[in-house]
Amino acid sequence: MEQIPKYLLRTVVAMLLCFSSYGTIALAGDGPDEVEIDSLSQLYEPVNFDHAMHEEVTDSNCAVCHHHTLGTQIEDENCIRCHAESSATDEIACQECHSSDRFEAEYLNKIDADKTLYHRDKISLKAAYHIRCMNCHEEMGVANGCQDCHTRTDAGDKLFHAGNYAPAESDKPASGGH
Amino acid sequence: MKAMNRRKFLKGSLLGGVAASVVSKSTNADASASFGGYPDAMGVLVDLTRCVGCRSCEAACNKEQGLPAPAKPFDDLSVLDHKRRTSEGAYTVVNQYEITGQDHPLFRKIQCNHCNEPACLTSCFVNAYTKTPEGAVIYDPTVCVGCRTCMVACPFYIPAYSYSSVLNPVIKKCIFCYDTRLKFGRPPACVEACPREVLTFGKRKDLIKIGNKRIANHSDLYEDHIYGENEVGGTSWMYLSSAPFEEVGFDTHLGTQPILSYVKEFLTVVPMVLTIWPALFAGFHLLATRKDKPKNEEKSEI
Amino acid sequence: MKSLIANGKIPLAKHYNEDRSVKWSVKDKLLLGLSLSEYLAQAFRNPLNWLFAVIFTFGGYVTITRFVFGLGYVTHSSYDYPWGLFLGFGLFVMVPLSASGFMLGTTVEVFGRDDFKPIERLALLNGLLGYLFAVVFLQVDLGQPWRLIYPMFISLGPAAVLFLVAWHVATYLSVQVAELVPAFAEMMGMPKLKTFIKSMVLGLTIAGIILSTLHQGALGALFTYAPGKVHPLWYSAPFQWFHFFVSSVFAGLSMLIVVSTICKKTMAWRCDDNFLDNLDKLTLGLAKGATLALITYLVIKIIAVAHDGDWGYLASGWGQWYLLEMGAGVILPMILFTISIRNNLPGLARFAALIAVLGIALNRLNTALFTFNWKMYQEIPHWREVMICITVYSLYIVTYRFVLYRLPILYTWKKDEEAAS
Repeated sequence: MEQIPKYLLRTVVAMLLCFSSYGTIALAGDGPDEVEIDSLSQLYEPVNFDHAMHEEVTDSNCAVCHHHTLGTQIEDENCIRCHAESSATDEIACQECHSSDRFEAEYLNKIDADKTLYHRDKISLKAAYHIRCMNCHEEMGVANGCQDCHTRTDAGDKLFHAGNYAPAESDKPASGGH
Repeated sequence: MKAMNRRKFLKGSLLGGVAASVVSKSTNADASASFGGYPDAMGVLVDLTRCVGCRSCEAACNKEQGLPAPAKPFDDLSVLDHKRRTSEGAYTVVNQYEITGQDHPLFRKIQCNHCNEPACLTSCFVNAYTKTPEGAVIYDPTVCVGCRTCMVACPFYIPAYSYSSVLNPVIKKCIFCYDTRLKFGRPPACVEACPREVLTFGKRKDLIKIGNKRIANHSDLYEDHIYGENEVGGTSWMYLSSAPFEEVGFDTHLGTQPILSYVKEFLTVVPMVLTIWPALFAGFHLLATRKDKPKNEEKSEI
Repeated sequence: MKSLIANGKIPLAKHYNEDRSVKWSVKDKLLLGLSLSEYLAQAFRNPLNWLFAVIFTFGGYVTITRFVFGLGYVTHSSYDYPWGLFLGFGLFVMVPLSASGFMLGTTVEVFGRDDFKPIERLALLNGLLGYLFAVVFLQVDLGQPWRLIYPMFISLGPAAVLFLVAWHVATYLSVQVAELVPAFAEMMGMPKLKTFIKSMVLGLTIAGIILSTLHQGALGALFTYAPGKVHPLWYSAPFQWFHFFVSSVFAGLSMLIVVSTICKKTMAWRCDDNFLDNLDKLTLGLAKGATLALITYLVIKIIAVAHDGDWGYLASGWGQWYLLEMGAGVILPMILFTISIRNNLPGLARFAALIAVLGIALNRLNTALFTFNWKMYQEIPHWREVMICITVYSLYIVTYRFVLYRLPILYTWKKDEEAAS
């Protein structure tokens, strides 16, 4: 390290520090404006998620949805126990940690094999979306029905025996089985 | 009294005893032991704090099991206005319960609980039910005679009967999607369909740990009890609730003994009668007829 | 029949007619020695037969619809109440009332009480027909009656209580048929067959006691599968089987008294002096046995309530119903029997027997239907179920009468040597 000018060294160190802090502090407007959530869409159309609007609603507290992955402070006391000082991570998007095949043998065996894993009960991707979204919508008094966020596809109508596949109207009460 | 020489008498009582013991039942299980379930059996933890009564599970089950089309669409929530039970066309139903002191109702998914020591299985005289190592309690309709004792025995009122069928009425109930999924290590259709992971699928012993952890982490939310952990000897499908279980329609007076325990008292009497009665009544006979012996030897056969 | 007898016809009771000119054929034995037109005429004159004709026409049709349209057509298709009247009445009531077979078989063959011989065959017939028609009721109730033999040969579930019931009832039916073969053999003139059966009658009887103890008990044990469903006063895990077994003892004896009374009153022409002269004494003898069983039953019932600590339930509506059942169905007949025995009143004993029979019916229907699902809504059986029960029970009565008219049950068959003398 002989003969590197002091001013150059200081500038480089300062720049490095500035850039590295991007990894620990997220700023408003950093995330995508809109996300099309379509990884699980079969029975329902993909969800057009207004990410920008939800950033505003949470007052840029990314931890509300993204836990500590963007470096923002968490409030849940169950999480703080271990994650009070957790920094940002590479995985930010929900689907990077929440499995879409939560109950298939491969995932279950993986959890089973890892004896040191704490988050054995991590919910699936679909559950993460629904629980996070619906619980807040409930609190905020926002529309919370299935089709308020995603309309059913034809396959969905078929499964639910609804829409074009609905049974003929009848006066008979739904079978109670008694 | 007709002549009864010793040989005829012994032949007779032996014949009687053998005839009766041929139909004896073998109760080789130790009377006090219970079967706690297969060690690696799967199960489902049903978290009622998450259910919103969307009935996706009912729809998925209907498709997976090839059930008849329902009277009303599965997104018709007016059916929640009255309590339903499982039926020949519905292996699972969701009921709504208003909870005192809570502004929102709770919803309960009802289906076979796949008990560790099922009452249906132990009451079936044609061995139609099997508890598989994967944890499912499955049913063989090809041997069922239609006696409906299993319906009497099930403490959860689950098995339904296809009374409408003339030539092949059989029991209808949730089979944990064994034939199409569980056998291959896959979760049942309802678990896959549920949008809020009300249903957590995994090894039963792991689910108990998960349940306890949830209760510990959210002690003001959950009732401190996993329903089905010990009820009637333990079930593979267990429940967590944020309200007292009896308010959500559960029978909380079932006790922890498998239903079979109530029957064992009689079952142990069976071999006693089979072994004691022949000698006892042969003895009575000898006692009663000892004065007739000299007279009998003089009388001729009819 | 009475007018025919008044005109000189003698009820057929031996192989030859009075002056040994004609040997009765099988057809003659079936028609009681009458010509076909005489036989049909007396049948038409009997008003009871008109009632049966109506029942069989209408009820027979309803019974057929059960098999054509399925159980859903004749029942309420209840999932909560899977068992209705077919089992509640046809099986659970008829089987204890048919316990007379093993009771009298034991009394005569095992205990050597030959004084009960005159009524023994009636008791055996009562037993056989009761079980036979219980099986008929079962076949009506089973979802797939053609699979009746499955628990025996196709797929066995030996740990189940019903398995024991199935095997025992099947075996016991054979035992009872065998026990009645001597009567049949006498009438048909097959002495060797009679000797063969007689050589194993002790074995058959002891087998009968074993089988009866266990299946009468097992019918009770069936309800131990439903601890939360049967009302606690009618439920007892350790004693349920014993309740059903002990009550079957006095049920069988009381039913025998009732049936013998009906025979005496309605077909005295068919009964011989051996039967009629001894009947009053035998009725009191049967009453003694029934009383002992009644007091035993009462004590074990009280013990069962104490064992489970169910005293509190006695104060409820169900408790009052329980006390009524015990009072009218157990204590009252017990007192009446005792009075009749001490004062030599066979008439009173007959009345007490009728009350006891009704009490047993009430107890079984309470356990199987009325207090079953006591915490839930009450289920009233479908009218078609009631109709079919009436029809099959009428068929039972008609069959009973058919056999009593012909086989030497109420009368003694005169052997050829005696007839000739």
